[in-house]
Amino acid sequence: MRLMASEVRRLRGVRSTWVVVAGAVAVNAAVAAFTASRLPTGELATADAVRAVAAVVPALPLPLTALAAAVLGALAYGNEARWPGLPASRVTLGRRLSALLAKSLVVGAAALLLTVVTLGVNALAVWLALPAAVDAPTLFDPSGLPGAPFAAGGIGRPLAAFPALVLAGGWAGLLITSLVRSAVVGILLTCALPALLEPTAGLLLHRTGRNWPLWMRELMPFQYGLDFVRSAADRTAGALDGVVAAALLAPAALLVLAAVLAQVRRRSL
Amino acid sequence: MIQITGLTKAYRRGRPPALLDLTFDARPGMVTVLLGDEGAGKSTALRLMVELERGHGLTLFDGRTYRRIRRPEREIGVLLPTGRPEAGHPGQRARAHLRMLAGVVGVPARRADDLLEQTRLAAVADHRIGTFSPGMHRRLALAAALLGNPSTLLLDAPTEGLSPSNEEWFGAFLRSFALSGGTVLTTTRAPEEAAALADRVITLEAGRLAADQPVAEFRRTRPHPEVLVRGPQMARLADLLTAQGGQVRRDGGAGLAVSGIDRTEIGELAYRNGILLHELADRVVRRAVAYPSALPGGSGRFGQVSVRTVRRGAARQEETGGETGREGAEREPADRNAAGQPPAAPGTPRPATVGRPAGPEQERPFDHRGPQAGRWAAAALAPDLSVQTKAKAQAASVPAPASPAQTAPAPAPAPPPTVDLTRRAPRGASALGRPAAPPAEPTTAETRAAGARATGTRATETRPVEAVAEVRDGDRGVRADAAEAEHLSANPTDAELLTPARIRGVGRPPAPVRPMPGRPWSAGATGLRPAEPAGRSREPGAADPRGTAPNGGAADDENGSE
Repeated sequence: MRLMASEVRRLRGVRSTWVVVAGAVAVNAAVAAFTASRLPTGELATADAVRAVAAVVPALPLPLTALAAAVLGALAYGNEARWPGLPASRVTLGRRLSALLAKSLVVGAAALLLTVVTLGVNALAVWLALPAAVDAPTLFDPSGLPGAPFAAGGIGRPLAAFPALVLAGGWAGLLITSLVRSAVVGILLTCALPALLEPTAGLLLHRTGRNWPLWMRELMPFQYGLDFVRSAADRTAGALDGVVAAALLAPAALLVLAAVLAQVRRRSL
Repeated sequence: MIQITGLTKAYRRGRPPALLDLTFDARPGMVTVLLGDEGAGKSTALRLMVELERGHGLTLFDGRTYRRIRRPEREIGVLLPTGRPEAGHPGQRARAHLRMLAGVVGVPARRADDLLEQTRLAAVADHRIGTFSPGMHRRLALAAALLGNPSTLLLDAPTEGLSPSNEEWFGAFLRSFALSGGTVLTTTRAPEEAAALADRVITLEAGRLAADQPVAEFRRTRPHPEVLVRGPQMARLADLLTAQGGQVRRDGGAGLAVSGIDRTEIGELAYRNGILLHELADRVVRRAVAYPSALPGGSGRFGQVSVRTVRRGAARQEETGGETGREGAEREPADRNAAGQPPAAPGTPRPATVGRPAGPEQERPFDHRGPQAGRWAAAALAPDLSVQTKAKAQAASVPAPASPAQTAPAPAPAPPPTVDLTRRAPRGASALGRPAAPPAEPTTAETRAAGARATGTRATETRPVEAVAEVRDGDRGVRADAAEAEHLSANPTDAELLTPARIRGVGRPPAPVRPMPGRPWSAGATGLRPAEPAGRSREPGAADPRGTAPNGGAADDENGSE
């Protein structure tokens, strides 16, 4: 308990926490507003609404909020590993494990809080930015919701999956950083993980005869990004065409670009 | 009390070990300094002690290893540099940082504020750590180490790269911490700092224990005065100085470091020969351990941290002459118990090792009264009483399987006549019978005063004598001891010499000047002490070779430290 209290103190005392949270909320709101402003006219589809409120950016490996949670988790461990306040007090396994547990609990709570905040702000942004042509009475009117929000077509399930995704992002950031002891590496690996996991899991599910539920597909950004790009280009394309190849090569190109840019500012390798 | 036993950090093949079989004790109420160059293994030793690194050997904090301590921060404050100057996350404010750590340690947050006051950081407590200077970082780290109100401090290079005022603050703090009964173990690279700060200096060289000296002896033997000369004609001056008998070595481009010749003499010499000087200054450099030292044999817990003094030990043996034999006789019952009758003493703490006495022997290096101990004990007791008591004690130890630790109290109860001698009685007795743990209060004083003379001497004498003693018949030992006691009572010189005036060294011609009885804290004051006491104590003694000379020093030190 006292470990959790001190972890909360650490989280509050560090500037980066507030920067990350504020940036995540702002970018989320901006993305949500942008998505909402470009929604097609007519009745608002549930999927579109979910995308808009969750501020899913195509081709990002994780939703923005989950990414922010991953950064928080990675920093929670990375800072401690980099500037250990009392290095000698972490010698025994039990103390380290309890510290890790406290961190994961605090990061999880922070991730959930962040989810609530961003969802609220995003909903507000979407509501403000909705074009007049789009009518969404059923979605934003609580009384007008379809009987069971957790029914197949409802908005409930995706919105429940979203916090879970954010939570998983935060914990993944924390635990992956605990493997590599560096916050930056931890964040990068966390970003790389879904791009590997999603197709694999999707493939496995497909082999067993099932598929991602549609509402999951909305939130899983990699798949969604593929769908997004493909729908924009050519819906009738084959399984492995130029678009998929481009989607797979884009991260590599981005990596090369980032590596070159990183060298620009340095004085040593 | 920290007992460090056989700390070893070995790497794979081809690399020398970072630390090899380091064994020493750090006692409460004292500042123990690990002195060594970069790479001597100081930090490794500290990291091994708290088990931040894997290695061999044990470190016991009051009998437990660091892992075993339930709340280590409450008992041991550790300050280890982490390779980064910052004491914490640079974006955090000092107060928040300390409060966070207070949460980790489990003390109220108020304690963090108290410590900020104590470490003179209260004014800047609400600023970010990234804006702090190195000294402030170090003080903040110290505050973090002190959060749990520990009784032991382990500090790794606390004053490295600090300003003099910060250094002084650190030193004063550590001294007061030790004075209030805490144990302080710190490391440093600067011998001057060690001399100013420590009660006990442990010198490491390339991972090996080079010397384990009380600070008085350290001050006497290790800092080395030199004269630094600079000028354009140094080659000629060097020739002249060498002709005068000084030792000259190059120091930088146009400089000489001269030892053995006074500064004024050098100046005059240069003037007479028309040599232009640009600089002529005294300075103190460190000298390597003054004598060739052997490694402590084996893991020291079963022997002792023994520094072999070759030169001084030899001189000492010549000086004391027949005492060696007496010493052997005195030791013999102990050896008989340890080696001669091992099965008869199953419960005794000392294992039955052949060849060297175990357990209680570890106190020996601190007990500098070696050869004199028997005499002092006899002198401390009433002259007539002493003979019988002592003889009885020794006789009792032969048939009974009791260890010498158990026989030790026998001579002690005899009431010593004066106050001054009271202090000596348990010590004489302890040296006689070698109890496992001598009384705590004399120990600190003793350790401080002790090795000043004979740390090495003891070690050199011990081994061969024991070897002889084991070969001999045991009864002869008793006889020899009784004879010695008789000799003592018949020859009362030592008892006479033990008057307080003598103890203070008033009436003695070659009164040994103790450099710093009560260690004042200031680097300047301790900087340069001529080595005259060293020379004097090495003189093959005058009229009174053994009784009073160490005594005066011990008395002074006791008075100064308590």
